[in-house]
Amino acid sequence: MGNLLVSLRIVFLIAMRNLTSHRVKSLIVGSIMAFGTMLMVVGTSLLDSVEESMEKVVSSSLTGQLQIYSTEGRDELSLFGGLTASRPDIGEIEDFSKLKQFVEPVENVEAIVPMGVTIATGAGGNDIDSTLADLRRAVEANNSAEIKKLEGQIVQLASLLEDEYEYRAKIAADTEKIEQDLEILQRVQEASFWEDFDMYANKRLMYLDTKLAPLAADGKLFFLRLLGTDPQLFKKSFDRFEIDKGQMIPPGKRGVLLSRRAHERFLKHRVARQLDRVKREIEVEGRSLEDDELLQGRVRRLSRQYRRVLFQLDVAETEKLDKMLRDYLSEDVPEDDLAKLVEKFLLVDSNNFQERYDYFYKNIAPMIELYRVNVGETVTIQAFTRRGYLKAMNVKIWGTFQFKGIEDSDLAGVVNLTDMVTFRELYGKMTDAQQAELEELREEVGAEVVTRDEAEDALFGGDAELMEEGQPVELAEGFDEFEDVDVLERDERLARAGELTYEQEEIDSGLALNAAVILKDRERIEETRRAIEAVIAREGLKLRVVDWQEAAGIVGQLITVIRLVLYAAIFIIFLVALVIINNSMVMATMERVSEIGTMRAIGAPRAFVLVLFMLETLALGLIAGTLGGLTGALMVEAAGFYGIPAYNEIVRFIFAGPYLYPHVTWGNVLLAAVVIFVVSVIATLYPAIVATRIQPVVAMRGRE
Amino acid sequence: MFGLEVVLEAIVEIEDVTKNYPLGKLVVQALRGVSLTINKGEFTTIAGPSGSGKTTLLNLIGCVDIPSAGAVRIAGHNTSALNDASLTNLRLRKLGFIFQSFNLIPVLDVFQNVEFPLLLQGDLTKVERAKRVEEILRRVGLTDQIHQRPNELSGGQRQRVAIARALVTKPAIVLADEPTANLDSVTGNTIIELMKELNATAETTFIFSTHDPKVMRQATRIIRLVDGKIVHDGSGTEGVIEATDPALANEEE
Repeated sequence: MGNLLVSLRIVFLIAMRNLTSHRVKSLIVGSIMAFGTMLMVVGTSLLDSVEESMEKVVSSSLTGQLQIYSTEGRDELSLFGGLTASRPDIGEIEDFSKLKQFVEPVENVEAIVPMGVTIATGAGGNDIDSTLADLRRAVEANNSAEIKKLEGQIVQLASLLEDEYEYRAKIAADTEKIEQDLEILQRVQEASFWEDFDMYANKRLMYLDTKLAPLAADGKLFFLRLLGTDPQLFKKSFDRFEIDKGQMIPPGKRGVLLSRRAHERFLKHRVARQLDRVKREIEVEGRSLEDDELLQGRVRRLSRQYRRVLFQLDVAETEKLDKMLRDYLSEDVPEDDLAKLVEKFLLVDSNNFQERYDYFYKNIAPMIELYRVNVGETVTIQAFTRRGYLKAMNVKIWGTFQFKGIEDSDLAGVVNLTDMVTFRELYGKMTDAQQAELEELREEVGAEVVTRDEAEDALFGGDAELMEEGQPVELAEGFDEFEDVDVLERDERLARAGELTYEQEEIDSGLALNAAVILKDRERIEETRRAIEAVIAREGLKLRVVDWQEAAGIVGQLITVIRLVLYAAIFIIFLVALVIINNSMVMATMERVSEIGTMRAIGAPRAFVLVLFMLETLALGLIAGTLGGLTGALMVEAAGFYGIPAYNEIVRFIFAGPYLYPHVTWGNVLLAAVVIFVVSVIATLYPAIVATRIQPVVAMRGRE
Repeated sequence: MFGLEVVLEAIVEIEDVTKNYPLGKLVVQALRGVSLTINKGEFTTIAGPSGSGKTTLLNLIGCVDIPSAGAVRIAGHNTSALNDASLTNLRLRKLGFIFQSFNLIPVLDVFQNVEFPLLLQGDLTKVERAKRVEEILRRVGLTDQIHQRPNELSGGQRQRVAIARALVTKPAIVLADEPTANLDSVTGNTIIELMKELNATAETTFIFSTHDPKVMRQATRIIRLVDGKIVHDGSGTEGVIEATDPALANEEE
């Protein structure tokens, strides 16, 4: 073999000469290999960068580096949303404080944050509802001026609704129900309804609540994905978290922080929201009102939402807006009413969009309710407890929050925060104080536990006189079934619950669904995971530990999927390269039978021929790989210098910001080199072996 | 012992060699019980019509093939007893080859082609190799073409390169299979002259096959084969069949 080393130079020379003398073949094979290498370097570097940035986003906004949850649930944890909208069953952590006690001392653990997700619905924002609530307050306060003002607003609302229902009556097949509704709307507009309003305030309010309010289709429910946690600890542990409006939930207090995204997207006035959206599509997505039909369609639909503005105006505001818009839209003002004016105002085009957008926020927004839920308000939310009961409670909205760098991302906006105590209650776990309160209430209303056997006696009374059958029950004049229920007192009681302060012990002890673990050294995820698993096993807890990627749900898996697709593409490219190289080398072997035979006759050993063929492909692989790898690395570095823009919100989330700045990871370049080497060797092995089998005697055979 | 007696050293010993080739279901007997001895320094030609077995005989002597029966000993080594690696080494150390189609490596220049077997041997330093290559190229008269590629040379020049390549390792035997067949007669003659001269000066044994009666006459010994058997072995021109004989000339083609 010593002579082999000496002759390596000549082998290399022959290999190189062969490559250059078969230029086209070398070029094709080399290009495929170079492209494969480039794709590998670019693809894996990009993916690594994305994964890195995503890890930052995901782990520093919701998941932490590790998540702990029960092994008993049926579903897997997916904090950024899974495939279903329903609440997944991820099991429970019975007592978080116990878990904390074991996990906190584990080396490299900085903090463990309790969590639990539930879905709550909130009702609110029906324009009639809120006006009626105002009216009820005015009645309680005996504020006749305010009552008068609200009367005007309600009459106006009813009149607008009447227009709508008349239109509906024209197109509907079944007009009977609509006729009834129209009667209600007309009754409310009659002067007689309001003349003796003071006298029958409660009755009239009831009528408005039960008859008028349902006619406005606006009172949609909104959904809140609520993440119960220890807000203070959450803020400390997730450094991307920041308050946008309002304030942090104070230590030990209860309440909700809305995600800015949810607030803007689901709770904002529809007209404002649509205007925002058009603005975003123009500015971020680079679309134009001039030629984008989708955008134009959106604007047309937006202009038809004028009622949503009008509904919320009182009489004075209506007059004011009418005058303002007449001045503003000085030319070509439609004769008739404000509705037409607002509609015209909202029909923006590419020239006036920005101006009208600003005008809307400056002049119109202050007159309407811009958000269905405002910071500082207390709202009623409902959730189905795990036992299936509907639990309603009042919560204070302390503020809105966002995650730095991914402010605009829908994915990051999927959760709203609440405290553990509120979460447990919505989830169906009561605090001791609530248990006590419940007992108190039972006592107060005389509720008692009735067993099945005694039910009939208890409910219908054993000894009470029987009423004669068929006798109608007469109700006393002025009977009000709600007479004894003090609505305001209930509100106050619920509001008081929000004022209570809870100790850390109370926050920790009790149920959580999952827990985020924040690490000191964020690189050592696997190691710490094993350490925590060991502790869990030691204590016999039925819990599992997953990393941020698993915990994130489909978003986390996205990277894995993309990676698989990339690897499949690279695999196919190299498979093609392999087949082509193999093929052309077999051809080359056939062409060079005489040459190889001559070498063998002269005294070249088989190994020499093997090395010769291998070196030929390896040299090609080396050149192509270097070129492809360098090109790929340059591309990645250039992309890292200029930044890759995120063209939509999901990508922005994955990029952890508006741009991704990728960088080359040299491990990937090395990997590409290894792959090229392996592909070259495998592709050449067969033809090379064929070549070594060529007998020297073929060199002796006659003419060529 | 010390008088004028010439010591004859046998370099090729062939004893009752048979070589069979399978041809479909048939077996072709290329050689049938051939025995001969070639001594060091001989300038021998193997003649005979196509299919007479002369190439087979050359292949056996050249250690690129082994006999079906009998023994071939090259420089004392029984080729049937050697494995592929040892045969390869034997070729590398003891033999030089000149081919009918020159068989130069097209991607290497003249110098590199000639240097090639020296590199395979791996015994000499770079300087020694260069000296050896330049010397042999001077002897074959190719000093000016040293950095040209085979495709830039004429047929005669190519065969000179092949001769230089065969001789550069100073082999015991040089085998040439129809070395002049692809050359015109003048060039062919020059090549044979060169071979003869090198035979005389380098004391290398030359064994070559040819059809050409003019070339045959240059040999000191003619071994004539017909149907796998030796029909003539001796000096002089008895074995030469004149190309003027039309019947035999046709047979040659």
